[in-house]
Amino acid sequence: MEKPLISIRNLKKYFSVKGGTLAAVDNISLDINEGETYGLVGESGCGKSTAGRTIVRIYEPTEGEMFFNGKDVYKLSKNELHSMRRNFQMIFQDPYASLNPRMTVLDIVAEPLDIHNAYKSQKERYDRVIELLELVGLNDEHANRFPHEFSGGQRQRIGIARALALNPKFIVCDEPISALDVSIQAQVINLLKSLQEKLGLTYLFIAHDLSMVRYISDKVAVMYLGHIMERSGTENIFENPLHPYTKALLSAIPIPDPQIQKAKQRILLSGDVPSPINPKEGCRFVERCSYAIDRCHKETPQLLEVVPEHFSACHRTIEIMEAKKRGEEETLITKKKVEKTHNVG
Amino acid sequence: MSNILEVKNLKISFKTFFGEVEAVRGIDFNVERKKTLAIVGESGCGKSVTANGIMKLLPEPPAFYKDGTIIFDGKSILDKTNKEMEEVRGNEISMIFQDPMTSLNPTMKIGDQIVEGLIKHTNITRDEAKKKAIQMLEFVSVPQPEKRVNQYPHEFSGGMRQRVMIALAMVCRPKLLIADEPTTALDVTVQAQILDLMKDLQNQFDTSIIIITHDLGVVADIADRIAVMYAGQIVEEGTTDKIFYETNHPYTKRLLESIPRLDMDKNKPLSSIDGTPPDLYIPPTGCPFFDRCTEAMVICKDSMPEFTILPGDHKSRCWLNHSMVTEKEES
Repeated sequence: MEKPLISIRNLKKYFSVKGGTLAAVDNISLDINEGETYGLVGESGCGKSTAGRTIVRIYEPTEGEMFFNGKDVYKLSKNELHSMRRNFQMIFQDPYASLNPRMTVLDIVAEPLDIHNAYKSQKERYDRVIELLELVGLNDEHANRFPHEFSGGQRQRIGIARALALNPKFIVCDEPISALDVSIQAQVINLLKSLQEKLGLTYLFIAHDLSMVRYISDKVAVMYLGHIMERSGTENIFENPLHPYTKALLSAIPIPDPQIQKAKQRILLSGDVPSPINPKEGCRFVERCSYAIDRCHKETPQLLEVVPEHFSACHRTIEIMEAKKRGEEETLITKKKVEKTHNVG
Repeated sequence: MSNILEVKNLKISFKTFFGEVEAVRGIDFNVERKKTLAIVGESGCGKSVTANGIMKLLPEPPAFYKDGTIIFDGKSILDKTNKEMEEVRGNEISMIFQDPMTSLNPTMKIGDQIVEGLIKHTNITRDEAKKKAIQMLEFVSVPQPEKRVNQYPHEFSGGMRQRVMIALAMVCRPKLLIADEPTTALDVTVQAQILDLMKDLQNQFDTSIIIITHDLGVVADIADRIAVMYAGQIVEEGTTDKIFYETNHPYTKRLLESIPRLDMDKNKPLSSIDGTPPDLYIPPTGCPFFDRCTEAMVICKDSMPEFTILPGDHKSRCWLNHSMVTEKEES
């Protein structure tokens, strides 16, 4: 069996806030193989960005282990971490906020090189920057300009060039396209994919846009309130979702085809994501789940391998799966959507 | 009259330090009663300026109406004074904005914000208005409306705030609701709830809706008609089915191709539109999509095509529809 490049074990990240502890990431484990793209999806506030940042130790983890090439990154001293850092980089969501407006593109892209003393002469520094800019589809004309002179898509390219400066092995892409227009999103995704092939990169791709995640990822984990609810190969997740939350999430994606969209049966989730402060024992999804039973309120389900290579954290997964085979999924629903009565005068 | 809103040859520009930005460059569209028109396009194409322009919410200066008419319910919006516009805003035309975090007043209770509009536009007492506010919150499915009515915006989640915004917009039963990217800041599961709510409201109150969005999935769900905007102009307009299934304009085609779909082939690169939209300081004289169009011809560079009327309530602004074009020429 392949040895994973990144192994995350029982990672927790808690924040102390007014009124208690916010469990942003609560006991997640992931293995990411070299050259693979791992998609991490979920709604806002589910802890996916915190997970991404904690994995590369921008946030100090509360508990857990992260092995990179067999070494536990969380046990490294400051100096060891500094040299380790060149192996993992990050691409941020907002290309407007993640580039310093007072620095030229040259200095922005060269900053990681400066920090790690990765050049011997100014010429070497310059050449490397130009090489990186060309790699992401920009050129030497752009080097002496400032971020405000670029469009959103171009800025994201600058952010990608900076992330690539030190030849990292692993890149956390935190919603890299959600601030961009559709026609530009595709450009950036194509770029990320071709860079992966060329440079053998490994991605953790954090996003809420499920169609993009399906396109780019080899494996997907679905997060909800700090927990991983389901994880498996991409096709399993999209073709055969097991967890009720994944099913609802998938059915909520609007399909850009009016006839299909208007005929589609949606699983409407009532309510919003509840607060992650001082979470109670029990399934995190219980308040919104239409299959919830008493046990779901009392006992937190574990993420179990239900089908080979397909994990789901739901007490009723197997029950639902078997009922689905018989076409009797409906009979397990415990909560029906209450029809609204329109009586506004 | 079947149209609630008729916009003709609307041109809106902004005076800036560097010169004039022609944000909206001569657009025509109608909104039928009880129907939903979607205006779609990329950022900077002028869709939000159009929406704010209909409400006369643009700061003048720097903005100014260069030309055109906006007829709402038989009356000209552009001839109204500010005072007269106050009677229209919130009462006959309402607007909901993209970001429910910034569009509610953080220092006022939700109830008071809803009551404010009711008292301004109708002759009812504060107590009655409060009752109506509670009813409205209940209608948009805010749980425990009696309690929630006395809370402040920060006590609500994003989806709940957008519900409050909708309650606020709908409380005076406007004839037209303008929704500027109403679901962009929301998660997909919440987005689905809000779109359903808007459809419910439309059925209940016979409201006409203009929805402005860049998300073609949302459009497929809610719109009866679609106007596609590019660089301040409408390039294609028609019924939702015509736009999706009989797409005519190359820009609309590329836009539809570049939407991520769940059934994409993973081994093929995504289709994207190379380049960026033109600078509206010096708008091009020809077709604004010329630089990015894969089907461009010589004529496209210098002159802008007029609309071609296509069969079945559908029009498109592209030289390829001209009767003189027999084969595709190379540019």
